[in-house]
Amino acid sequence: MNKLERKDFLKLAGGAVAGGLVGTTLSGAPFNALQWLVEWTQDQYRPTGGSETFRQGVCSACGTDISVRLIGDRAVKVETANAGCPVCQTLIQILYHPERVRKPLKRVGGKGSGRFAPVEWSEAIKDISDKIKELRAQNKAHTVAAFNGAHNMLAGALVERLLAAIGSGHVYNEPCFCSLSAKAAKLTQNSEGALDYDFENSDYVLSFGARLFEGWGNQARMHRVLNRWKADGVKLVQIDTLGTRTASMATKWVPVKPGTEAYLALGIAYKLIMSYGKGGNLPELGRWPGINDFNPEKVAELTGVPAVTIDEIAREFAGARRAVAVAGRGGEMVSSSVGEIIAVQCLNKLTGRMGVPGGVFVKIKNDRLGAVRQDAAAQAGMAATRKAKGLDDFIKNGEKPELLFVNDANPVHTSVFGKDLAGKMKDIPMVVAIMTMKNDTARYADYILPSLTILESKTARGDAAVAPRYSAKHGADIILEIAKSVEGVAASFPWSGYADMAALVGVERRPQGNFNLNIEVLRTYLDMLKKNLEGAAEMPLALIPYEIPLVGNGASLSLPYVLKGVGREDFAFERLIVKMNPETANAMGACENSSVKLKSSRGKTASLKVHLTKTVAPGVVAVPMGFGHCESTRYAEEKGVNPLEIMTANIDPESGTADWWFTRVKLS
Amino acid sequence: MMNVRWGMSIDLDKCTGCGACQISCMQENNMPIFDEDSDIPKRVTFLDLMKVTNDFEGGKKYGEVQTAFIPKMCMQCSGNDPKNPHPPCVTVCPVVATDVGDDGIVSQIWSRCIGCRYCQAACPYEARVFNWWKPRYEGDFKQGLNSDVSVASRGTVVKCTFCSHIWKRERDRAIAGGETDINKVTYTPACVSACPTGAIVFGDLNNPNSPVYETRLKNDPRAVRMVHSIDQQPENERARRMRIKDYPNPKVYYLSSQKWLRDIISGFQNS
Repeated sequence: MNKLERKDFLKLAGGAVAGGLVGTTLSGAPFNALQWLVEWTQDQYRPTGGSETFRQGVCSACGTDISVRLIGDRAVKVETANAGCPVCQTLIQILYHPERVRKPLKRVGGKGSGRFAPVEWSEAIKDISDKIKELRAQNKAHTVAAFNGAHNMLAGALVERLLAAIGSGHVYNEPCFCSLSAKAAKLTQNSEGALDYDFENSDYVLSFGARLFEGWGNQARMHRVLNRWKADGVKLVQIDTLGTRTASMATKWVPVKPGTEAYLALGIAYKLIMSYGKGGNLPELGRWPGINDFNPEKVAELTGVPAVTIDEIAREFAGARRAVAVAGRGGEMVSSSVGEIIAVQCLNKLTGRMGVPGGVFVKIKNDRLGAVRQDAAAQAGMAATRKAKGLDDFIKNGEKPELLFVNDANPVHTSVFGKDLAGKMKDIPMVVAIMTMKNDTARYADYILPSLTILESKTARGDAAVAPRYSAKHGADIILEIAKSVEGVAASFPWSGYADMAALVGVERRPQGNFNLNIEVLRTYLDMLKKNLEGAAEMPLALIPYEIPLVGNGASLSLPYVLKGVGREDFAFERLIVKMNPETANAMGACENSSVKLKSSRGKTASLKVHLTKTVAPGVVAVPMGFGHCESTRYAEEKGVNPLEIMTANIDPESGTADWWFTRVKLS
Repeated sequence: MMNVRWGMSIDLDKCTGCGACQISCMQENNMPIFDEDSDIPKRVTFLDLMKVTNDFEGGKKYGEVQTAFIPKMCMQCSGNDPKNPHPPCVTVCPVVATDVGDDGIVSQIWSRCIGCRYCQAACPYEARVFNWWKPRYEGDFKQGLNSDVSVASRGTVVKCTFCSHIWKRERDRAIAGGETDINKVTYTPACVSACPTGAIVFGDLNNPNSPVYETRLKNDPRAVRMVHSIDQQPENERARRMRIKDYPNPKVYYLSSQKWLRDIISGFQNS
């Protein structure tokens, strides 16, 4: 064997390296590697393709027909054709939200720990129905309670029916304009419905703090109404403490001292009676000696609205053919006392605007589900129920329930007593939450049952746009299943599924011209208002809430596309913003971007960032609602503060709801 | 040959700031999703719904100050001569990732972009955004992605294209239906079709029957274009200035009856 020379070895090695390089180059490996490098650095996700189809549906938030664009079986876009509400556009995000509840969840950690484990539907339903059976057997049917979300039509009606069949009257709705105005209609018009303004035919609209284009009522309808008002030159007079978008869109903005809307309403009523001869329509008000306290000079002092403006509004209101006065302060979250709604209703009665086109109607729930069959246990339970006046009243003063249903509601976040409720929920033996995504209230639940989103729900007109995902069920179906597994309750639920019932629950508008003014309710409210407005000298500022379009009460903050739309003048750099007039800031030693905390008699908020704007009256601070969730998906949690925690908690004796509109605060 | 020049007009008197246009745009164009989407420096959107007030006007008191919303997207600039368009961003792009079509739409191909951000600096309207982070679509959010729009990768500039992918979709549909005249193809961008008050309208700037006929818009006392104060100059002064400099000449018109709002949009007093 020849000895390998050093030179030959180097040649061989060199040849091998050169050959390897040429081989590698020609093999295409470097190009592949480069391709991988590009892909790795760019890391693009490619949505899967498929054929395009459109399915029809209805947005139950606004009742608008929608068309859903699908690629293969994926819903990618909701088309509304210049109608609808912003919620329509968020439906896809709700449908595919990664934090949707996929299976029934059972609590595994301590109460309020937020730790849950998935269980089978059968196990959850059995556990819940066993609890109902146990309570009924112990004559404790009346200790079952339920909270319904606002405007939760079908499932809400079924929850009410379930409790009636079990034997409890403790069903409370999250407060909204409908529930508050229904109490006013009950007292003055002996009606079971909510107030419904005929904006489509009005020619003069006097709004007492109702931010009509910022989430108030049905947004799709209000947008249509806006277009008609613009086309027909309808006059909108907006009475509001803040320079909101609605105030700027109005024909006239009447700035009013915070919380004094009812005084202004009575001041206008005084003028209608004394100067414009409208007293005959409501003699009770004219006869009431207290009305003399609301002469224009006095009201001007109370509200900050000049006497001449009050006279001008009264003259225009009396002179318009189809005027209507609108109550219900706020946007999606309305905070008005029954007394204040009645004060505004007086104007409609004085000018004969009750139950006539362009005036105010009553919207009655049209429930054709039939009578509930109550057995002995249910009748005993109903007799033992000491019903609270409303949700806040029940949280604060109600007896502790043994079983609580939370149907698509979030009172831990939306009630001023949220913290008290959270504390109380820890002691309730069983809490059942029915919802699509975990929220602040569900944190304290024992069971979370997943319900369908709007796109997955069948409508009265036909099929759903998208097949149900995961093992979620329609809220009404969940209630049906629970009801059917309890003997004595099942008889009231003969339906096989929610689609059978969709057409049985609706609302109907009725003209109702009767109006009996309950002076006592008005007087009690005025006393309460006076006390609240006076306040102590150490709390020199008034806190007035506002809502950001899309965010509303905060339920939609869990959607990233909604978060992306929150403006920097409301929430920036992870800090919630408090708006105040430069004069206020000067007096209080604050400046643009400085950090302040708000302190009321109920507590103190976390730090807020100051933004100076003259849209806010001197002496007033404005804070957006909907932020400060403790549990509401990774997108909404721990963002900002919830001002409701420090807001006024005086419970309105008629509606049982806290009137939190006006709160005395100071900076700290 | 395309004779159509797509343009938009936004009636701010009808805009309630509801945000439907913004969400519709995000859904249509596969906006990236981050845990911290409320964080403004990280935010990637094509359509910015700006809330403005006239606080800046000296002497305005509480009770006189107003609030308005301005939806702002890519203004689809054309430069001084719309027949030979020179948008400021297209001129500076070294890799032709952004270009202007014969229908006047300023396009952007995400995957061609090298992330130099020249265009972002050149844009007079801050209409372009840079993807600093990799877009994440947690879990099933991927299911809602539109397959007509590619997902932008980290390190690229993205922007509104007047939803030109919808035009392409409509064009293909029209051709399949036997249509041979490309100028007859019409479409509606996502923000326009979502606007519940009809504040945003879209169409052909060259067509007298279109709701956005440019000659009519230019004579509308309510109309104003964003940061385009040359519009308020007399004819001969405008011509003189345009000989010296290329102006953006945007194809989005704002309509407002409020002078203060027109002033802040145009950047020119007494507009």
